[in-house]
Amino acid sequence: MNLVKLTALGCMVHASSLSTAAEDVDRRLDAAAAGTVSIENTAGSIMVEGWSRSEVHVTGELGSDVEELVFERDGNVTKVHVDTRRRSGRAISTDLVIRVPQNSSVNVGGVSIDIVISGVRGAQRLSTVSGDVRSEVFEADTDIETVSGDINLQGNESVSRAQLNSVSGDVEVRDVAGEIEVSSVSGDLAVAGGRWSRVKANTTSGDMEFAGELLSNGRVDVETINGDLDLFFNGNLSAEFDIETFNGNVKNCFGPKAERTSRYAPGRELRFTEGDGSSRVTIRTLNGDLSLCKD
Amino acid sequence: MNESDDRNTDAGDGALMAAARALPKGITPGRNLWPAIAEALAEPIADDAVTPQHKGLPHWQRALGMAAAVVLLVGGSSAITWLAVSGGQSSVVPQPVTEPLQLQPVSGSFGAEYELGAEFMAARGNLASQLDAKLDRLSPQARAEVEKNIAEIRASIHQIDRVLADEPDNALLQELLLSAYRDELRLMQRVDGIITSVMRREDI
Repeated sequence: MNLVKLTALGCMVHASSLSTAAEDVDRRLDAAAAGTVSIENTAGSIMVEGWSRSEVHVTGELGSDVEELVFERDGNVTKVHVDTRRRSGRAISTDLVIRVPQNSSVNVGGVSIDIVISGVRGAQRLSTVSGDVRSEVFEADTDIETVSGDINLQGNESVSRAQLNSVSGDVEVRDVAGEIEVSSVSGDLAVAGGRWSRVKANTTSGDMEFAGELLSNGRVDVETINGDLDLFFNGNLSAEFDIETFNGNVKNCFGPKAERTSRYAPGRELRFTEGDGSSRVTIRTLNGDLSLCKD
Repeated sequence: MNESDDRNTDAGDGALMAAARALPKGITPGRNLWPAIAEALAEPIADDAVTPQHKGLPHWQRALGMAAAVVLLVGGSSAITWLAVSGGQSSVVPQPVTEPLQLQPVSGSFGAEYELGAEFMAARGNLASQLDAKLDRLSPQARAEVEKNIAEIRASIHQIDRVLADEPDNALLQELLLSAYRDELRLMQRVDGIITSVMRREDI
């Protein structure tokens, strides 16, 4: 009996010693040149870099309470999953640097992880609850979701389609082009640069800034409840404007003055056509102030 | 009426029919009236002038837009109902909820003419309950963040509801209220989706 107890104790001590040491990781797998890399990590950070090899290379440090690193390939999909399911400890924070074929698509999910993506030309689907996301985008679609984390998306004027949603995190987009849908509840939204065919922005109390070019036949739809709006149009602008506020001010450096909509309510509206009106800009806000300007 | 019918009519009717037959078959207006109508609709009014609500769009167009939005919302609610039901098959095992997210009842109606309906409100309640259970799996900070932002949207809904009580036919308010409801659902769906996708494992 005593021998059994001692053996059990020995096992526990051994398990305990295993769980207290963080583990370095350095592993490689051949991968499809334009496949998908699926990454899951609960806490810590994930940095993904695109490279020219058809290989996925994972380096970094696993938290001491991590069960295992699942690293496997199934056809075009390579999995990098940090598995902590049978561990009760809290030292699960894991930091990984993952190099992937540059034309890969990447899916990254986590709870409190920061995500950094660079040099990846395939589609990106990134989600985290409380971490920040910073990514570089080329032509492929980008879909990013956070709760409290900030989103920072950098482009190089390549046309793409991006959907960025946060709850309280701020969203900043720079030099991306094409179509974008961006939303938050209380986070601020900023879109700077780029040539756009479609911009859709929605926020409850966050402010929204836009400074970019609206292409011919383009469309901008912005809606806030309490957030202020600052829109600046670069380049040639040819659009029908349809702006309405219930309780906010409208300050515009082109077009006619906004008009009151009611003798009793402070609301204002502004409708006019700039150029031949091929595009359409629609803005709705309850209490937000609007500043509208152009080159 | 044809030629034989004409022969049976009296002389007065015959003259009238002859005159009628002499009328041109189609009427070509002297000018295209539409640009003037469009111009009149879009004509700016002096800055200090008080204008009727939403003069830029015809009333029927707004009404159609709102009706379409309601239809979309009803369709959306079915999807949400599906989500609420199918979400139960997730591998996430909800933990007992210690501090339930308070779902503040709202009027469920907007404007003078539209209602969101029982199905929508039921789906909304289901989604809120489902999310409530999953929120417990987030860290206290993340949970507080979500709750704060849901509360913010609900405060907006109440705010718009209150103003709508004074201006029940204000189409902008109706539009914004509908959007706020939609935002609330989207937020709940999104957070639910994130939690479900990242917490399939029992690792939190």
